[in-house]
Amino acid sequence: MSKYSLIKVKYMIKKDLVIIGGGPAGLCAAKMVAEANQSCMLIDRNQILGGQLIKQTHMFFGSEKQYAKTRGIDIAEKLVEDVKKYSDLIDIWEDTTVVGLYQDKVVTVLKNERYVKIQAKAIIIATGASEKVLAFENNDLPGIYGAGAVQTLMNVYGVKPGHKIVMVGSGNIGLIVSYQLMQAGVNVLSIIEASPKIGGYKVHASKVRRLGVNIETSCTIKKAIGHENVKKIETIKLDENWKEIEGTEKEYEVDAVCIAVGLTPLTNLLSMIGCQMKYVSELGGLVPIINENHETSIENIYVCGDASGIEEASSAIVEGYLAGLHACKKLGKFHPKNDELMNEYHQQLTNLRNGPFGEKIRIGLKKQGVCKDVS
Amino acid sequence: MKANYVIIGAGISGCSIAYNLAKKGVKDIVVLDKSYLTSGSTGRCGAGIRQQWGTKMNCLLAKGSIEFFEKAKDTLEYEGDIEFKQEGYLIISTTFEEDEQFEKNVELQQSLGIPARKISKEEAKEIVPHLNTQIIKGATFCPTDGHLNPFRMTDAYYRAAKRLGVKFYFNEEVKDIMVHENKIEKVISSNLEIYTNHVVNAAGGYAKEIGDMAGVDIPVYAENHQILVTEPIEKIQSPMVMSFSKNIYCQQVPHGSFIMGRSDPSVAHNHCIESSWQFLDEMAKTVCEVLPLVGKLRVVRQWGGSYTMSPDRQPIIGDTEALEGFYLACGFSGHGFMFAPMTGLLLSEIMLKEPSTIDISDLHISRFKNKQVFTYEKSVV
Repeated sequence: MSKYSLIKVKYMIKKDLVIIGGGPAGLCAAKMVAEANQSCMLIDRNQILGGQLIKQTHMFFGSEKQYAKTRGIDIAEKLVEDVKKYSDLIDIWEDTTVVGLYQDKVVTVLKNERYVKIQAKAIIIATGASEKVLAFENNDLPGIYGAGAVQTLMNVYGVKPGHKIVMVGSGNIGLIVSYQLMQAGVNVLSIIEASPKIGGYKVHASKVRRLGVNIETSCTIKKAIGHENVKKIETIKLDENWKEIEGTEKEYEVDAVCIAVGLTPLTNLLSMIGCQMKYVSELGGLVPIINENHETSIENIYVCGDASGIEEASSAIVEGYLAGLHACKKLGKFHPKNDELMNEYHQQLTNLRNGPFGEKIRIGLKKQGVCKDVS
Repeated sequence: MKANYVIIGAGISGCSIAYNLAKKGVKDIVVLDKSYLTSGSTGRCGAGIRQQWGTKMNCLLAKGSIEFFEKAKDTLEYEGDIEFKQEGYLIISTTFEEDEQFEKNVELQQSLGIPARKISKEEAKEIVPHLNTQIIKGATFCPTDGHLNPFRMTDAYYRAAKRLGVKFYFNEEVKDIMVHENKIEKVISSNLEIYTNHVVNAAGGYAKEIGDMAGVDIPVYAENHQILVTEPIEKIQSPMVMSFSKNIYCQQVPHGSFIMGRSDPSVAHNHCIESSWQFLDEMAKTVCEVLPLVGKLRVVRQWGGSYTMSPDRQPIIGDTEALEGFYLACGFSGHGFMFAPMTGLLLSEIMLKEPSTIDISDLHISRFKNKQVFTYEKSVV
């Protein structure tokens, strides 16, 4: 032991289990842990728990088990309510940013401008994802937003991001946010998509098309034009090899651009602590190698939700439950219905990943080393 | 495959040796690295370049190297910017004894033509206005010391060596060195078998393991040293500020960030390159005491890397009595980056049996034979 640790240990908060991230995955992990009578600390950098759900005003698809037909914002409220019932077991630290994660399982955080250290026995990392960016000329002009930022502005703060907008990306987020922009009275000039086909569900695509918005495939943004903020953009068509076709440039007069080209797992903490990582494009980029208990290459470091690979919020919810069950089981606290729930959740994950839309995820998970929960 | 020379390690030392040999007309040089260019200690170092040392040998290696760095961009025909900034090293003394020692160091340095000088507290404050002079007795300053970008500098050597025909193989870990009747036969790596009679051990933190493969015992070990970097700000500090007694070095790099490091006296001897919260705590306390203003900045990243320590804290450069054709450039004890031009020049002279630019027989591995106590370089953080 180095001489420093002897002096400093008394300034260290000790916790059996720390959950980093209070989105759907982290909240559900906390709930399971508390039901198993295991205490934990739940840390989130935002002032409100719920992660991305708090800006999702649309209703969810899928099974009612993961709150289908409920709006994201209402799901968040429900999950937070569940967790707050266990105030004796779950120590919630909101508005707290984790700034370091070390191999001796010390989590360092900034809370109210103070630097605090927490020594954990086990850690569940549920940090979610960050938006991917596109490289094009002037992509840093004011007025160019990620889709998450647009949702935050409109749905959390009630602020319109612009009046004339082009959406880049036709995945579910691109389509849903386009629809929400129109509901807010924003003129969506076009949705452009680099690949030859629309990425999101047909039902979402049809909805925006019915309102007269063109979805232009094999088309990307070439540059943004403007000085203080974006005034115009130039798009260009792509051939079957994704090469730009000269002479197909088109200009749009806009005051905002929304980039919705997917998410990438937020894995900085996993890298910092030294988890083995692997690049799996189907899961959004660099992901941790995990076993079927959602444990990383470092014992007692668990990961769930988008941080372990990009999927839907519904999968994050179930993964959170499972990671919570596994983590408290290893700490010696069994959920009274542990076996029953484990089977149930594994089955739910398998169902969620079934069908043609789950194919990419299934390929990605096999590369990541998890063959369970896919059929 | 066959090679005339196999160099193990594509850090700055390996690249410099390859470049120097190739420039002298040697053909068929192969450089192997178990990872990528500068993946080891070079890419993890503090990026400082200094001539203010306590031993003559270190002074000479540093001086010769700085003279090379001053012209490196042209000599190596490098298109990029190596970010060489000569704005000095300010080394502060905090005790009477240390101040006395510095007196002697400066005398030695000046006798070798190094433009270092002893300066007063007040002068030190003029050079670095945010320095806490309450804790210092005096200082030494050498204006031609400074900063150099380790990635760019290694890249410059790498590209120059490649142009001269050196072949580099990355992700190629050396697994064994086959020796027959005191002669090297071949080097076996992850995917290659290279027949050769000459091997250079420039493997940094893994120099001991490479020595063991060849049956040569090298008295070095690796230990973790950590660094942190802050957010960038406008330029407020020109030289590197260093203190051996306070255990700190800290400089503002051209980009505007402050890079700083310190040693952990109780660190284990192993290949660990983790970063620890203990380092962050202690580094923060130290920098707040020595350079209080810097304490207001946010830390953006921390990392660790290996120092490869030799018994006298001076490098081991030369051939080996134990094995013909086996050459060493290791044990730099944290300073391999700044000595690299001289390492490459001097070792290539030895390998090609040319007259030496400076006599480095004192750096031969045989100096450790039957020796228990060493006078070692004390000017080390």
